[in-house]
Amino acid sequence: MPRDASTDKPLVELVNVTKIYPPDIIALEDVSLRIYKGEILFLTGMSGAGKTTLIKLICCLENPTRGVIEVAGRDLSRISPAGVQRMRQKIGVAYQEFRLLEKQTVLQNIAMAMEVTYASTKAIHARVDELLALLNLSDKRDKLAGELSRGEQQRVALARAAANGPSLLLADEPTGNLDPVATELVINLFRHLNEKNGSTIVVATHDPSIYAETEHRVMMLSNGQLSAHPNRAPRQIDLFEA
Amino acid sequence: MQFLAYILRQTGKNLRQTWGTQVMTLLTVTLSVLIFAFFFLIYTNMIRASQRLGDDVRLIVYLDQEVTAQMRPGIEKKIREFGPVEKIVFVSRAEAFSRLSAQLDKEKDVLADLGPDFLPPSIEVYPLKNLHDLTKISQFSDFLLTLPHAAKVQSGSDWLRRFGYFTNLLRVVVLLSGGLLIITMTFIISYTLRLTVLSRQGELEILRLLGATSAYIRLPLLLEGMMQGFLGSSLGLTALYFLYQYIASRFSGPGFLRLFDFAFFPVELTGAILLAGVVLCTAGSLFSIRRFIRI
Repeated sequence: MPRDASTDKPLVELVNVTKIYPPDIIALEDVSLRIYKGEILFLTGMSGAGKTTLIKLICCLENPTRGVIEVAGRDLSRISPAGVQRMRQKIGVAYQEFRLLEKQTVLQNIAMAMEVTYASTKAIHARVDELLALLNLSDKRDKLAGELSRGEQQRVALARAAANGPSLLLADEPTGNLDPVATELVINLFRHLNEKNGSTIVVATHDPSIYAETEHRVMMLSNGQLSAHPNRAPRQIDLFEA
Repeated sequence: MQFLAYILRQTGKNLRQTWGTQVMTLLTVTLSVLIFAFFFLIYTNMIRASQRLGDDVRLIVYLDQEVTAQMRPGIEKKIREFGPVEKIVFVSRAEAFSRLSAQLDKEKDVLADLGPDFLPPSIEVYPLKNLHDLTKISQFSDFLLTLPHAAKVQSGSDWLRRFGYFTNLLRVVVLLSGGLLIITMTFIISYTLRLTVLSRQGELEILRLLGATSAYIRLPLLLEGMMQGFLGSSLGLTALYFLYQYIASRFSGPGFLRLFDFAFFPVELTGAILLAGVVLCTAGSLFSIRRFIRI
């Protein structure tokens, strides 16, 4: 269900964030956004609109040129390197380019995310099996990631992002290589994480089929500027951005 | 517990991934420790031998005629004019013959055709134990030659001098091999870890994105260096011990080793060499980790 923006505390807050890549490529311009605990937010826009940059800024892979980003009330510019690493353990990121280790098995790839939190082998195996079942990949558990199709690799990357039951999951084009059936599985995974773990989920996508029927908030990025999606009802727009 | 299990598992994984390089590194560390420890073992034995020889220094004044009982106090007084001595022993021709006969034991028959007077009488002067200065021994020797009826003085100072030169040379070799050990161990470990890091570059990058802490990434690499140091030093010292045993068994009996009471390192020194190996390899790991891993 969509969250009530007026009462909830934001998990992520961007205030007048601008990101300029050298020499003068403006990826994001004066973006302000609040993402609330337990919310599912869809970020749409054409390729190069700034969706990936926004996700990279939230997980500290990039620093903003201007502006402030807070995650769970902490200003990212003031977090120590160790603090960033601890924070990343709680944020699941499914990258557009997957970032899997092709010479390692599906199990090993997903397990990595849990190993960094020193989870027990038993817990890791149970969680991996659960996620693979949800994404219909159980038979691929011991296959090398490099032997999988692009769509399967994409789902493995999502499973890895979801492995720790993150409080925030950032998914960059999570259905770019998926057929409708697999897309449905991914959406179900998001719903599962959101409802069971209370995870906040941010989905960057240019695939309208994912958010067409959703009652969650949909925002649009265009030329580095954020706005409410033109086809969405005004009630879903965060007052902060209005 | 999970942390420790992970560190050990990851270290094992690193070793497996670059096993060829690891074996070469281990052999290099082993060889470096063996070379250094070999020269150091000889050096420590030489030092001990030279101390023992210094303790056993005696000057023998060969005389051209027997010293009578009446002459002895006067000669003793003159000797002590140079400085205090441990003891002075007068050896007559008959006593010298008797000693030689005892030393020859079963072969004493060779003396049958020689008369008991063929050996010269002598005075054995034992300097104080603290007289290790070869120059002073030489001066003392010259002084003893001025005694009445003194024909020749045998001090062994020339031999001791040559032994001292050899020990000094050995010291230089030990220092050089020690330097070589330091350079080899730190650089080879650093190089090996660099290869490990390069072979795991992609994995380390992903681990960083997944929130792996500095300890999570660095400790297995540090442990890898420590293990190389421990195993390499242990193998090097074990090889040296077997080499020592082989030499000792071959040369046991009246000979060089018996003369010098050749011995292996005491436990404390063995432990110190082992520790030095571990410390050097760990330092090499740290150098590599600090240089090639950015978290």
